Amino acid sequence: MILKIIGCSHHQSSVEVRERLAFNPQQTFRFLRKFYDAYPQSEVVLLSTCNRTELYAAGQSHDLMPSTEEMELFLADSCGVQHSEINDFLFEHANEQAVRHLFAVAASLDSMVIGEAQILSQVKQAYRQAADLNQPMPLTHHVFQAAIRVAKRVASETEIHTNRVSIPSIAVGVFARQIFERLDNKQILVIGAGKMADETLKYIQGEGGRDFVVVNRTREAAVRLAEKFNGRVADWDALSDQIQNADLIVSTTGASQPVVTLQMYQQIERGRLQRPLFVLDLAMPRDFEPSVGECLNVYLYTIDDLQQECDRNRNARVGEWPKAQKILDQETERFMRELSLRSKGPTIQRLKQQAQQIKDIELDRLMKRLGEVNPQQQKEIEASFHRIINKLLHPPLESLKDEAETGTTGLLDALKRLFQLGD
Amino acid sequence: MNWLYGISITCFAASYLVAFCLELTRVFFRAPLRKYLINGVILAGFFAHTTYLVLQTQMQLAGTGLFMGSWSGWCFGAAWLLIVAYLWIRYRQPQTLSGLFVLPMVICLIGAGTWLGPELSFPSARARTVWNAVHGLSLLVGTATVILGFVFGTMYLVQSSRLKKKRPPSRLVRYPSLEWLQETSEMLLLVSTVLLGVGLLSGILVNVINQKIGRGVLPWNDPVIISSAILFVWLLISLLFNLVYRPARQGRKVAYLVLTSFLFLVVEFAIVLYAGHATREPELQEKEMAGAPVAAAMGASQLPACREAG
Repeated sequence: MILKIIGCSHHQSSVEVRERLAFNPQQTFRFLRKFYDAYPQSEVVLLSTCNRTELYAAGQSHDLMPSTEEMELFLADSCGVQHSEINDFLFEHANEQAVRHLFAVAASLDSMVIGEAQILSQVKQAYRQAADLNQPMPLTHHVFQAAIRVAKRVASETEIHTNRVSIPSIAVGVFARQIFERLDNKQILVIGAGKMADETLKYIQGEGGRDFVVVNRTREAAVRLAEKFNGRVADWDALSDQIQNADLIVSTTGASQPVVTLQMYQQIERGRLQRPLFVLDLAMPRDFEPSVGECLNVYLYTIDDLQQECDRNRNARVGEWPKAQKILDQETERFMRELSLRSKGPTIQRLKQQAQQIKDIELDRLMKRLGEVNPQQQKEIEASFHRIINKLLHPPLESLKDEAETGTTGLLDALKRLFQLGD
Repeated sequence: MNWLYGISITCFAASYLVAFCLELTRVFFRAPLRKYLINGVILAGFFAHTTYLVLQTQMQLAGTGLFMGSWSGWCFGAAWLLIVAYLWIRYRQPQTLSGLFVLPMVICLIGAGTWLGPELSFPSARARTVWNAVHGLSLLVGTATVILGFVFGTMYLVQSSRLKKKRPPSRLVRYPSLEWLQETSEMLLLVSTVLLGVGLLSGILVNVINQKIGRGVLPWNDPVIISSAILFVWLLISLLFNLVYRPARQGRKVAYLVLTSFLFLVVEFAIVLYAGHATREPELQEKEMAGAPVAAAMGASQLPACREAG
């Protein structure tokens, strides 16, 4: 069984690169379909968040799945970019390294803000999206379930999530507080009505924000979000007017093009009378053209701008890091052992079945020769045969388990040949 | 209580200097007891400062002059007002590094006062008149608010620049929010304009009264009067601009207004110091007998330079 990952994350690539490789749910669905059409024997999961785009592929053997380069080309092609443009920003992991990476991602140990809660739900969502295509995905199921288990274990056994600071909480609690003394008298405009908007509004409300206006292309989603926070809904067409009145904007749409261009803002700017405007562009790709941030009294922050604060956050939690790392090591080792055993499972099963068959045949033959045997004696004979089989199989099976821990397959191959078990 | 007479400028100047150094260390490391230490040092300095001002005023009122009418008295008085403002900021915004901006101004004022000397300017009898007191007090507080406005304006620009450059905040210290700095600067602009306006009008009144009773007055073309009038007109224009033109109330524009006001004040100081205002006193006193033109109204006329009218 093989597991491979290619992708980019905030560690290696800038927001400009990541936004070119970002997928919204519809694009993810199309991508997965296309991938299965091209590589029907593979399993695939695509994780696309604001900080990473990662393609997980699994298969029974190298022949049945795409090579790393093919995966990269497929990703580049799907995003409409040249492979050479993104090649330097992509990372790749395989097998144990890939498992460890996924565990770290799910446990939020690889996040921009260590310990943030969102990533686990995003990992679950990515897996669910792949599973919705009804393709058999035994290996990815196994590894993603393990990743969720590891994330929960890290959360419960370490304090790495204590006082955790998510991107929205850093944006609101740290940066908005440097601009505004109070939020209760500010008009807060939310562009987009997704999870990130929801999460950010929780923090804004916690800091005293009350006056919310939600603008979204899909009005129903906007209504839901506005109702949750006692806010108002405005039409998408009224976006310019709302920006003109806003003090704080949280933008989290899944739009592939900027929602607010410099030209658009310049038309609004005059009407704002130079009131300070704090824009949290948490969308990927970005919703605001970066040049809007150059305008007078506009403070435009994107996800990347939170990077430094996140790094410091990471450092502050460094004390908990070894503990979390230890869990990651243990779980990766455990998973690889299980995986190895799983791969040996069919062989072991066949060996046991073969032994069972031999036992049954020989027992049957013996019973016929012995004639009348009382039930107690018959039971003793059967138990004796059973013990012989078990005692004979125990050493080779133990050796196989030992081999599973080392990750080699020499003994398995030898066993298949010795007992003529076939593939 | 004789020991109180032993309090010198060094006592409170040193306290403020130590407090400033302690404030400076906040940038580099965390120390749980430091805030108590700063509070202690500042309060000790404030006590010494207040005692010094009270005793000096008492002593000189008993004599021939008014301590607050001298350069040193005026500077120490302005510094004292800044310390009061600093204590208020420490109470309202304990986590901010306002001390790094306010305390240097305080130390500079004390240094300037020491350098310029305690030469008396106001005869105590004159100082006790109501309009002179209003004139002096409003100009003193007005000047302190202009300086404070400069401090907050500078902090606004620094903070605004940091946020524009997207620099993460320090975990050790932080700036007040832009909104708070803007509102405070705006309020200081209003207060300083009103106070300097009151100072100007009361100065005019003093000069008119002096003229009527045949005392010496400042000529209306005195550079101090002209520069003080310019400072007041500038503040008035700033205030009106701020009230009428809404964008001027936003962001950096307020900071630029208070910063420019401070520059005017510095120019005013320079004129008072170097225009030879004080050296004309004997001439004025001679004229006083002949019912010379009016004493200065404005701002700076109350500065030590005001010895004229007195």
